[in-house]
Amino acid sequence: MPRDLTPSTIENTFVLKALTERIRLDSRSFNQLRDLDISFSSTDFGVVDVKLGRTRVIARISAEISQPYADRPYDGLFIISTEISPMAAPTFEAGRKSEDELVISRIIEKSIRRSGALDTEALCIISGEKCWAVRADVHFLDHDGGLMDAACIAVSAGLLHFRRPDITIVGVGSRREVIVHPITERVPVPLAVLHVPICVTFSFFDVRKASAAIAGLPGKDNMKEADDDDVEEENDSSTTVLVDATLQEELLRHGYMSVTANTNREICQIQKGGDMPVEVGKLLSCAEAAIMVAEKVTKLINKRLKEDEARRNVGNLLVEARAENDRYIV
Amino acid sequence: MASRIEIYSPEGLRLDGRRWNEVRHFRCAINTHPVSSDGSSVIEQGNTKVICNVIGPAEPTLRSRVISDRVSISVKLVVAPFSMIERRKRPQNDSRIQEMCSSIQHMFEDAVIAHLFPRSQIDVNLYIVAQDGGALQACINATTLALIDAGVPMYDYVCACTAGMLDREVLLDLNRIEESAMPFLTMATIGGTRKVSLLQLEMTVQFDRLEPMMAAAMSGCHHIRDLMDSEVRKHGKSRLERGSF
Repeated sequence: MPRDLTPSTIENTFVLKALTERIRLDSRSFNQLRDLDISFSSTDFGVVDVKLGRTRVIARISAEISQPYADRPYDGLFIISTEISPMAAPTFEAGRKSEDELVISRIIEKSIRRSGALDTEALCIISGEKCWAVRADVHFLDHDGGLMDAACIAVSAGLLHFRRPDITIVGVGSRREVIVHPITERVPVPLAVLHVPICVTFSFFDVRKASAAIAGLPGKDNMKEADDDDVEEENDSSTTVLVDATLQEELLRHGYMSVTANTNREICQIQKGGDMPVEVGKLLSCAEAAIMVAEKVTKLINKRLKEDEARRNVGNLLVEARAENDRYIV
Repeated sequence: MASRIEIYSPEGLRLDGRRWNEVRHFRCAINTHPVSSDGSSVIEQGNTKVICNVIGPAEPTLRSRVISDRVSISVKLVVAPFSMIERRKRPQNDSRIQEMCSSIQHMFEDAVIAHLFPRSQIDVNLYIVAQDGGALQACINATTLALIDAGVPMYDYVCACTAGMLDREVLLDLNRIEESAMPFLTMATIGGTRKVSLLQLEMTVQFDRLEPMMAAAMSGCHHIRDLMDSEVRKHGKSRLERGSF
């Protein structure tokens, strides 16, 4: 039985009143991300543990040989599974898709699959017969807001970290055979990742609605003017924008927008649900802020990848065994 | 996609002869199903046709849907299997359809004056009869008109439009072929204001190209709002003259 996560009225009024005084409960600024920690498994390739504040998500990338779709003989398969179990939070039910789950899975699909982060044509082995089927399984361990953001970072980092076994094709025509070399025999091969999509969620608060919710509270109800280092540049100060909301802020927000961007200054997807109407200039500045966040996060992912590489290649044996070019996006 | 199809000719004409800033032929009818529903509308945007039926505000069918201080809206969307070129039956729990339903529901929960009908439910049933691009925008426009016909008080119209970017050319209100050829976004605004209720972009686009697309979509939304408003006034006038309700 899923339990409702609705916070108490006193919690609501406390958080909203703090927002009207431009304070966030964890004393972050309005456009500051929580502490992001990305760690890779030291034994398996493609297993990433992402901690965004207290939200924890693990992504696991795996690959096996399969048959391509009949209408796309030159493409491999890429499936992302984002089933949320009650381990993340008691509102989620195993086996039944709540609306939050649907939103998260659709946004991850659009951010990573539809934007073409993984080059599926490079997964083809024998066209029409054999191809690699890459599977990304996302496990949500702890829900403190920002599940989409953490999941997107985890899958992107996992795709960069994963190594698939090397293969050789012997024989000709219909008697072709594919030999899969185990990791002990040949160095595994990285996937062809074309860009690194990073999802950023912006939460909108209607200041007027918030003030109405906390009306009747004793004390002054003042709203300070917009700061210079905030996302909002328009004169419209009736909307407060927060980047990377915690669970408490998520439950109280009046609207949200999730933007996926990459370091090529490209926007991969935007999803602003119908919750709260926001002035269009504000949405544009949010999209620009998303690009800056994407650059920061991609830098961190690459840094951690290099550290992981250094840990694995003690003595640099594997590095010398490689005969291919660097495919990392630096 | 065949390279013989010229999406945007050098003279500035699109496949159907429109210019870049022209919306498709917009036809709408209100109160098309007076017996079976409280409010109904049929919208045709080019070749995309959507029928919307609204029942409510009424007693909620499920106790779990009851919200004590405002109305709850439930949206059902059925895509007819003959709506596209290839006959294909879409299962009801297709995630794209569910996402569209959930977007429309949230949008109208905010656009309707919800606190006037506590513990009530409004059912919105949408049928996409023909698809030629812009299904979501047609559904949103149809829902607005049907809710107006049902007499549900709303703050303002909710109007939607699509805009795409082909290389450096912005195109407004895309049809199916254009949608598959370029990144496009769907935007829904509140009436003639600059407030955006829904914004959906599904293909990768350069950030600098985003602003002209959004500006074009916004002006398209405002134009559609004027078209819907004139139809609603015309309909209201004819009902007054007939003396029927």
